[in-house]
Amino acid sequence: MSMRRNHLTEPLMAAVVWCTAGVVTLILVWLVGDLVWQGGGQVNWTFLTTSPEKAGVEGGIAPILVSTGLILTVCMAVATPLGLGTAILLTEFSSQAGPFGRAVRLSLDILAGVPSIVFGLFGNALFSKRLGLGFSILSGGLTLACMVLPILIRSVQEGLQAVPQDYRRSSAALGLSRTATLGTLILPAAMPGIMVGLLLGIGRAIAETAALIFTSGYVDRMPSSLFDSGRSLSIHIYDLATNIAGGEPHAYATALVLMGTLILINGGVSWLAHRFRQSRLQVI
Amino acid sequence: MNRGTFLRLMPLGFALALGIQACDSTNASNASNKIILTGSSTVAPLASEIAKRYEKENPGIRVDVQSGGSSRGIADVRQQVADIGMVSRSLNDQETDLKAFPIAKDGIAMIVHKDNPVGQLTEEQVIGIYTDKINNWRQLGGQDAPITVVNKAEGRSTLELFLKHFKLESPKIKADVVIGDNEQGIKTVAGNPNSVGYVSVGTAASQVQNGGPIKLLPLNGVSASLETVKDETFPLSRSLTLITKGTPNESQQKFLDFAQSQQVHDIVEEQYFVPLS
Repeated sequence: MSMRRNHLTEPLMAAVVWCTAGVVTLILVWLVGDLVWQGGGQVNWTFLTTSPEKAGVEGGIAPILVSTGLILTVCMAVATPLGLGTAILLTEFSSQAGPFGRAVRLSLDILAGVPSIVFGLFGNALFSKRLGLGFSILSGGLTLACMVLPILIRSVQEGLQAVPQDYRRSSAALGLSRTATLGTLILPAAMPGIMVGLLLGIGRAIAETAALIFTSGYVDRMPSSLFDSGRSLSIHIYDLATNIAGGEPHAYATALVLMGTLILINGGVSWLAHRFRQSRLQVI
Repeated sequence: MNRGTFLRLMPLGFALALGIQACDSTNASNASNKIILTGSSTVAPLASEIAKRYEKENPGIRVDVQSGGSSRGIADVRQQVADIGMVSRSLNDQETDLKAFPIAKDGIAMIVHKDNPVGQLTEEQVIGIYTDKINNWRQLGGQDAPITVVNKAEGRSTLELFLKHFKLESPKIKADVVIGDNEQGIKTVAGNPNSVGYVSVGTAASQVQNGGPIKLLPLNGVSASLETVKDETFPLSRSLTLITKGTPNESQQKFLDFAQSQQVHDIVEEQYFVPLS
């Protein structure tokens, strides 16, 4: 009886699982396909290396690419050390079940769910006005860092927790200090988790619009310092698509560039993380 | 890389972040060679292009244009966060503390889908539609279909102007879709044959030129076009205005003069607005 039911349910389950996976892949293929179809013809070397003209309807996106790169660099340069440090403190140097750890984890989970526009208003009030940074790449990057931190910390924490306790005990038995254990063993072993955190962080930062419009701003000139206002790719897409008559073709082209950039960064980070893990952990 | 690199880099990151924040005070954003504009998203692309030309002709001067909406422009100028604000309307009685410098004109037109058989709306009909007293196109001589009312978001000048013209109050409006910028309004109407909305005449006219599936409805019998906005016969029009708190300083005045001059008329027309004669 049960054998016969298995005969039916097994292939059915397989079909369902294949279908869901197919739908997810189809959505991605459709999305990328649409971007390539509508924007592909316009992305060329000139588009990537010239400044926008006529509010973005003509010209290219060179200053916007540079601004986006700078905002992202500021964001990750601030968020990565802070995020790693906090996650290491929370998992390695404080008790998991203690009230401090629980309180921090809860607040991080809440922060991770806060809508980005709230971070935008916060960044505008703190960095742009209180600290006098004005509309600048620095304000934008720091605001994004605040936004990315909770996600980064939580992912790194998960990664660190996934490293078996045996590693720490063996290391202690061999007389290694906690710092040495962390640097040579725990961090390389936790690399997959750290990488997921970094990728999620970068992904959220590069796609951000709401948090940036009031911090890094709308100026599409080539930035000459971190104190200049600079428009990000996502704001450029948003403006072209919703505010500029005839802006749609370049909105698609810019979106395609944004997707391409994201794929490149993801590939790069994965490769670096893999290299780091390999160089540290030949045995694993 | 040795074992403690990560731990040693962490305080460095802190120090870097703090150091960057500490040295900001020397970089005051209101230096005399930098002018900051914030406000209306309708004016921002135009002001941005004017600023670019001004920078080209006056090397060393920087004009930063930020977006965010007319209300934000007024608030930022009052708080002195911005030097010049952008509003897509004239100033009203409560805003006498500000000085206005109009740079272009724009009209607001009612738009419907191209396939909508309704060719014009009276003011009473528009009021009826937006207060939900008329909710089917059949009542206006169209097909039997419910009307999708597209309204502008709170704080947008276009909304304020629309309310003022039709003597409506915001809470009485029953909207199905609330939109932000002009292009978004056009896309919404283009995508829904039963919708009605109101957007900038210039943007809508350019869409029609480029084959967008919308049409502009006349208002009080006057067709909605850049020409009727220009000769001031179109009843629902507005000034795109730059504002300052009190008298502008020399460098700000110079930019304001430039933005109001003949030298930028081609930019104004390029952005589908009407230059001031």
